[in-house]
Amino acid sequence: MTISLLVLLLAMAASAVLCIGMRNSKWIAAVMPACCAILLVLAVNLCVPVLNGETLDDGVFYIDSVSAIFMLLVALVGLMASIYSRAYIGLEAEEGKIRAKDMGQYYSLLIVFISVMMLTFTARSMAIVWLGIGATTLVSTFLVGFYSNEESTEAAWKYIILCSVGITIALAGYTLVYASTVGAIDQDLSLDWPALMAAADQLDPTLMKMAMVLIIVGFGTKVGLAPMHTWLPDAHSQAPSPISGLLSAVLLNCAMYGILRFYSVSEIVNPGFASAILLVFGLLSLAAAAFFIVSSRDLKRMLAYSSIENMGLIAIGLGIGSPIAIGAAIVQMAAHSVTKPILFFSAGNIVQSYGTRDMNSIRGVSKSMPFTSAALAIGTLAIVGAPPFAVFVGELSLMYASIDAGVLWVTVACVILLAIVAAGMALHIFPMLSGDPGKEIDAHASPSRHVPIAVLIACTLLLGLFMPDQVQGWLESAVDIITGASL
Amino acid sequence: MDDAIIGNLIDLCAVLMLLTSVMAVATTRMRPLIGLFSFQSVFLAVLAFIVAWSSDTPHIYIMCALTVALKVIVMPRMLIYIMSRIHVDKEVELSLGIPGSLLTSGVLIILSYYITEPMMDSIENVERNCLALSVSIILIGLLMMCTRRKAITETVGLLMMENGLFLGALALSHGMPLIVEIGAFFDVMVAVIIIGIFAYRINRSFNSVDTSFLRRLRE
Repeated sequence: MTISLLVLLLAMAASAVLCIGMRNSKWIAAVMPACCAILLVLAVNLCVPVLNGETLDDGVFYIDSVSAIFMLLVALVGLMASIYSRAYIGLEAEEGKIRAKDMGQYYSLLIVFISVMMLTFTARSMAIVWLGIGATTLVSTFLVGFYSNEESTEAAWKYIILCSVGITIALAGYTLVYASTVGAIDQDLSLDWPALMAAADQLDPTLMKMAMVLIIVGFGTKVGLAPMHTWLPDAHSQAPSPISGLLSAVLLNCAMYGILRFYSVSEIVNPGFASAILLVFGLLSLAAAAFFIVSSRDLKRMLAYSSIENMGLIAIGLGIGSPIAIGAAIVQMAAHSVTKPILFFSAGNIVQSYGTRDMNSIRGVSKSMPFTSAALAIGTLAIVGAPPFAVFVGELSLMYASIDAGVLWVTVACVILLAIVAAGMALHIFPMLSGDPGKEIDAHASPSRHVPIAVLIACTLLLGLFMPDQVQGWLESAVDIITGASL
Repeated sequence: MDDAIIGNLIDLCAVLMLLTSVMAVATTRMRPLIGLFSFQSVFLAVLAFIVAWSSDTPHIYIMCALTVALKVIVMPRMLIYIMSRIHVDKEVELSLGIPGSLLTSGVLIILSYYITEPMMDSIENVERNCLALSVSIILIGLLMMCTRRKAITETVGLLMMENGLFLGALALSHGMPLIVEIGAFFDVMVAVIIIGIFAYRINRSFNSVDTSFLRRLRE
């Protein structure tokens, strides 16, 4: 087990060195996805035994079912984004929107970005998780501001400033967690998650309360919970589309992972405290997202708000706090991770062919680019929670959990807001598909545009239609870890 | 030295740190602002030294040395270098006037004492004032980030928040594990470099580092 982890870490280092070394070669666009494919294989090799019940814990690294699920999602979406980049960034370079040497920089940053996200989930100490989340911001700022024009510079500026403040506030929470462990845990181990969980009943409750507020607000800034979400629509709409997909599908999860780990500890120290805060932030995010989705005109901004909505749902799941609700939150997270890139990649195809993101001036996608049109339609249905896709399973079990936990007002609020979101997205997206393009559109069709979308559609269908017993078992073990039942 | 004197010295440094923060709020010129930040870092380093010496925790010496090296020497120079590269004019622009900012700072300081009150019983080795002062410095840093419109002043606000945070960590638990401290320093350092790069880009594309020009991305 430790060996498979070491092999993965070595592969990460080697791929980063290889991609940075080859940044001026024209082969970089093929080498980088190949590296990602190797990382995915190694991550599966590492995570499947973990998911089947062997927790890896060697004093520095710690991987359990929860981190394994997060890591697999990063590896999968990372590979898809890198394959899609080949067509997308290639076309940008052909059209002269970016210089050829920027392309090497793009791929080097991308592999480092994906590796840092995966590394975040291997740490035993929450201190390393904090560093990982901080480092993902620093690396991805350049990807957000990649086009160096006015809008993307503005987006990157807001992104790094707000997320740096968020990370600093989270660190303030860490100091309080650390202070609350004085006398309970050996000081060198005191931010190690297993140690925190084992000694949770001896932690100081008052300090932990204050710490949780700071950690949820701090990491919540990066998750995109309203009202700290203001950087998110800018960054996701201005970044190149493969990056938008990656930011939305897995980067937000990284920060959510930070919250999730402390949530487990806090629910033992102060039952019901962290969950109440998360419930409020979750409902606020859902409401803000519903409002902005209905009123948005920019395609990628609308998709960004849909990410805020999904993060809100995950927060609500944790907020309800019963094992079913936490299970629903994890399903929702995985479902969002595989569904959202479908939308961002199709949106990227449309934006490149039509040259605009304004949804009112895009018409006739089904005539000019049939594959993208179908993908966008399927993606929209999937993300708004239509059966038989994965998000449907997540949302349905979340509704069931909220009724089961006796918080009917949450169910009612969610159903109303989700209906508004669904209606808003459908009303914006479906008119784009029909009608007449009005001009000659070049679909730029190529396998590297179609394959990632097709694979992700297969994933979301698979998760939605069949939940094999084995996956069910993985989910249950993750829930047991989060609720502390497996201690 | 007995504990009372040490306690007083620590309090003195913390108060001086808050004072520099309040002065920073009232400063209208860019260079003195950066100067105030390095002064604040000097006081933080002295405080760290006293804590390290009195509690005999060697790893805080490392933090003290890092503070001197990075926050007193390297970062202020870096900020001044960025300033000269982008030919920023020396005036700080405010969206909230100086009297208003000072008044708000006063309110924030009182608020910090109020917030930290419930935590007092839970803490053993805390210098009571330090915790409230640390929260005040963090909040004033946030205030600076919200009300200043130049890229560099926003950065100084962030750095001052970080200083307040380290003060809190020292007061609460004699610092953090070394990995967190070094990591945090590294993170801030890299963030400042990247912010510098983007300040340069903002300057190039908007011909100004006034971040109030950043109003294109709206609904």
